Amino acid sequence: MKEKDYIEKVILDNLDALDGMEPPAGHFERFEERLKGESKVRTIHWNMVWKVAAAAVFLFLAVNQALIWFVPKQTQPLTLAAVSPQYAEVEFYYTSSIRTGLNNLNSLAGEGVISAEENQMIHQEFEALENRYEELLKDLQAHPGDERVINALIEYYQNKLNVITLILNKLQEVKQQKNESHEKEV
Amino acid sequence: MGERKAQSELYSMYYRSMYSVSLRILGNATDAEDAMQEAFLSAFRSIDSYQGKVSFGAWLRKIVINRSLDQLKKRKMKFEEVTERNAGLEEDNTYIGEVDVRRIHKAIQSLPDGYRVVLSLHLVEGYDHEEISQILNISNSASRTQYLRAKNKLREILKNQEIYLFN
Repeated sequence: MKEKDYIEKVILDNLDALDGMEPPAGHFERFEERLKGESKVRTIHWNMVWKVAAAAVFLFLAVNQALIWFVPKQTQPLTLAAVSPQYAEVEFYYTSSIRTGLNNLNSLAGEGVISAEENQMIHQEFEALENRYEELLKDLQAHPGDERVINALIEYYQNKLNVITLILNKLQEVKQQKNESHEKEV
Repeated sequence: MGERKAQSELYSMYYRSMYSVSLRILGNATDAEDAMQEAFLSAFRSIDSYQGKVSFGAWLRKIVINRSLDQLKKRKMKFEEVTERNAGLEEDNTYIGEVDVRRIHKAIQSLPDGYRVVLSLHLVEGYDHEEISQILNISNSASRTQYLRAKNKLREILKNQEIYLFN
């Protein structure tokens, strides 16, 4: 471009010297102060990190402990009893009635009123019902205290009890008929 | 604590050139020291991002320039826009003789903010006018004009001092 620019030349030639300016006296000390402030900030920062880490560990241990305490309850999933004592009573009534019904059913099966095949079929039906029950329990866990889920659960118990009672009544009839026919034969 | 010692050593090695860079941009000692030291601290904080692609000095210098420019932007600077009157600015390229460094430095320091910044960014730090126009948010030709005016002003100052010196 241009052959020579004296101003540019004079500056570029003296660049090293121009870059050797000395800051105001005491700049070293001021910088040391700033460095110290900086490391103070950093230690506070580290303190925070430790606190957070300690809190995290504590939380982990607490959750762990809670899990240990609640694991047995969790293997028996949350049922109506967990919602309120009243529902616990309702649930107890139905489960015990159902259990009695099932026991009667089994004893009737043992007596030979129903064949082993028929008994198995009935139990398969109940297993299908059982699936519905587990779904409802999952719903209850997801929405504890939700009236719709609670009502559905109670309805489920009622239906199951109704079915069992229905079968039992029928079987009783069959048993009586059999007895009567035996009597007649005799 | 070894880290602190290393930081002090780096400071001792580079503070002069970094201060000089900042001083040429900011034009006053207090601001320049502040920007320079801030730049050191921010370099130490982000030392992980230094990849060794350029020398440490060059990396640090870039940080100092940016810090100083940040500080400078807080001031209201006047840049002369190109007008018809100054568009055909002529360059006076008379020889000004040998000058000693302190006087060059003083002359640079006496330039108005706008002149001084463009001169040091373009001539010393090697930014082109396009980059400068973006950094300072002025037009490319404004940057060129500032640069020419800065040089003319410097020449004037140094000549006058010459006369003053020999009288």
